[in-house]
Amino acid sequence: MPAAIATEGLTKIYGRRLGIEGLDLEVRRGEIFGFIGPNGAGKTTTIRLLLDLLHPTRGRAEVLGLDSHRQTVEVRRSVGYLPGEFGLDVRMTGRQLVSNFARLRGMQDLGSADRLAERLGVDLDLPTGRLSRGNRQKVGLVQALFHEPALAILDEPTTGLDPLVQDTFLQFLREARAEGRTIFLSSHILSEVERVCDRVAIVRGGRLAALETTESLLERRRKRVTLVFAAPVDASAFAALPGVSDIHAQGTTIWMSVGDSIDAIIKLAARYTLLDLNVEHPSLDEVFLGYYDQHQPAAGAGLAGERP
Amino acid sequence: MTGTGHWWLLTRQQLRSRVRSLVIWGVALGGLGALYVALFPSMSEFLRQYLEQASQQMQQFMGQLQDSMTIEGWMEIEFYTSIVPIALPFMVIPVGARAVSGGEERKTLDLLLSNPLPRWHVIASALGTMAGALACVLGIAWILTTIAVLAAGVGLAPGRLAAALFVLWVFCLLFGALALLVSTWVRRSFLAVVIPAVVLVAMYVVGNLAQVSKSAEPIRVFSLFYHLGHPLKGDFPWTAVLLMLAAICVIGGAAVAVFDRRDIYT
Repeated sequence: MPAAIATEGLTKIYGRRLGIEGLDLEVRRGEIFGFIGPNGAGKTTTIRLLLDLLHPTRGRAEVLGLDSHRQTVEVRRSVGYLPGEFGLDVRMTGRQLVSNFARLRGMQDLGSADRLAERLGVDLDLPTGRLSRGNRQKVGLVQALFHEPALAILDEPTTGLDPLVQDTFLQFLREARAEGRTIFLSSHILSEVERVCDRVAIVRGGRLAALETTESLLERRRKRVTLVFAAPVDASAFAALPGVSDIHAQGTTIWMSVGDSIDAIIKLAARYTLLDLNVEHPSLDEVFLGYYDQHQPAAGAGLAGERP
Repeated sequence: MTGTGHWWLLTRQQLRSRVRSLVIWGVALGGLGALYVALFPSMSEFLRQYLEQASQQMQQFMGQLQDSMTIEGWMEIEFYTSIVPIALPFMVIPVGARAVSGGEERKTLDLLLSNPLPRWHVIASALGTMAGALACVLGIAWILTTIAVLAAGVGLAPGRLAAALFVLWVFCLLFGALALLVSTWVRRSFLAVVIPAVVLVAMYVVGNLAQVSKSAEPIRVFSLFYHLGHPLKGDFPWTAVLLMLAAICVIGGAAVAVFDRRDIYT
């Protein structure tokens, strides 16, 4: 069975600016694949190339074994798509939108639209112009998924959703995976990628920076721990602990970077009078800059954003 | 779903969403046509008396007014060549402009094209929407005007009125198609409205200028208003209509080709 998505040297150049360059990617069927990177990295460009909304400058892409350009209609028959930004006809209700799209797909009913809407907590019978941003996002999710596509391509799907609905949505993605469907999830929110994705591709400056399992990515993520004691403490004891690096001490405060569990640090700190403890998870951008700058050549100057 | 089914479905959806505005346009134009028909008996009598009392030189100078003394001439001057062809294109030009660049600006085109339909269906459905919308409006206008004709007993043949409105249907559709082409070419719906509107107004000015200035006569052939002919008087402009239909097909084909090759941004 062909891969859900396979790209070879996929390149998009907007005039003199680079959108994405030489992307070689393979997304396996039945996995949740995270496609992450900072804003302007080329995530949306890649997605739009897969759906033939943009034409590649070089290279090619296959979606579900079909050429993304020459067989784009067949591709979109089996793909559900949520754009990162989208507009809705404000006079139309969510049900009318889904109903129109169902007819365009040759469906006789609304598929799982009502079930999805109920789970996400959105009323499909209200005009979309009367919906909040979060509820419009839910309508977007419903239209992307109601036909139970073999591959769902979702660009920043949890934008505007409250945490409870995010949980529900991520649970839905796990269920879709269990049914054998493939999810291509573009995001700049590391926490949601961590929770559901099997593998992750990191894109930066228009180039693929890394492609690995979520587990191995998480292993490389280092937390920053700040300890504030009642009196100055010898930092060397903490520096000797496994996984601790980049340690600094000033007065009664110690800062350190920790790769593994903080259990040993807490136990050691408990021997002193600890006034405050702060554990920070670095942002995705910091992960890129902190880790991948050491392994990847710097992205070319003046590289593109997502669009010209 | 057949290949044809998609664009027809889109056309139906778009027409359905415009029902209210189509009725408003149709009633407005039909009401205007009915008003001119109702005014004709008193206006023709007034003009007849005026011309009888005028000097011979004045009568020659006011030759066009004599034409207004028939219902066909009156409706041609007041309705067929002035109000409708300058107003009605402004109903369809925005439809053409919104189809592609407007869809990009409103960020609705991505969602539409996430469905399994080829790009040419977006163009075909926009043309279909414009054609259907014009047919609805002109159909309502024909009904209301014909009712007024029957009520006033002025003897305007419904067939000739229908022929004239058919010419206007083609005329307006041409400007809508032009807006559609510009909409696929540039990424500003504003320009897709302005460019055909400027062409329309320029043609209107040239057409009217040529009527009052001999020096402007040679350029009147560039105005489509000059080619509208006299279908209300039984002189149907076959050549102009066929050429306009051919132009619509060429412009539609060009819009498909341009849209197929270009990137879509939202």
